[in-house]
Amino acid sequence: MSDFDFYPGSDAEWADLLRRLRQQPKAQPRPFFYARVQARLAARQAPAAGWLPAWARRPAYAALLGALVLAVSGDGPALRPAAPSGQPGGAYPSQPTPVAPR
Amino acid sequence: MACSLPLCVITKLPLPLGTSAPAADAALVAQLQQGSEAAFRTLVARFQDRVYRTAFSLLRSPEEAEDVAQEVFVEVYQTIGRFRGEAALSTWLYRLATSRTLQHQRRLSARKRFAFFTSLLGFANNRLPEPPDHAHPQALLEGAQQLQQLQQQIGRLPAQQQVAFTLRHEQDLSYEEIAAVLGTTVAAVESLLFRARQTLRRHLQPSLRHV
Repeated sequence: MSDFDFYPGSDAEWADLLRRLRQQPKAQPRPFFYARVQARLAARQAPAAGWLPAWARRPAYAALLGALVLAVSGDGPALRPAAPSGQPGGAYPSQPTPVAPR
Repeated sequence: MACSLPLCVITKLPLPLGTSAPAADAALVAQLQQGSEAAFRTLVARFQDRVYRTAFSLLRSPEEAEDVAQEVFVEVYQTIGRFRGEAALSTWLYRLATSRTLQHQRRLSARKRFAFFTSLLGFANNRLPEPPDHAHPQALLEGAQQLQQLQQQIGRLPAQQQVAFTLRHEQDLSYEEIAAVLGTTVAAVESLLFRARQTLRRHLQPSLRHV
């Protein structure tokens, strides 16, 4: 079946339109296209080469996270110096004094 | 030879005279896979117009077409190691070009929809940019307007029909080549083209009658 069977009255116009579409001036990239492709490739490779790779950054993050966990973990009281002897409560004044069993 | 890319070792080009096109392509691919920058330069020089035109005929914007064409060659550079030669080199490039262009088109439409949505909600006061109109008044009188209408209607076709129509009527590819690019059969391409022409003629019929 012909492509132009649907609208018999305008076959010539349609064919002419397709011909004109085909004969349009051919679009071309601007000069030095290769240089721009090369620049894009180089730009994409630069961050990996110029900076630490992702795996190298992870231990630093892990160490930072560890330090942060230690800092806020609540171990501060355990590291305080012991209170002078003779004071009730010893090192932990907030705790009750143990009572000797009878 | 100056080497700004990692591809820089082998410089065996140009290929010997009398080499057939598939053999020349195979040799070019082999050199690319070995890391030859000269081969990459040759590939870009040989295919840049076809890749750019394919993108341009689907996007109708020189800037967007340039962007897509560059992306295609970057992708070629990064994935040439996986090219096994099941399809012709040109088919593979057309396939990359069309798929990248359609991807780009979808991204542009999503961006446009988002901009429209935000403008409705009053988040942005910017007006949506209109596509530039480079038509000269005299050219319009000479029927360029009709051509412009055709191009607008091509842009509204479903993606597969749009690609098939563009490759056939603007890139002059054969039905077999289009089938290879789209990864389908020749019969399916004929069907896509038939439906595309039918839709286009239906939408352009009033203007065709009155010219």
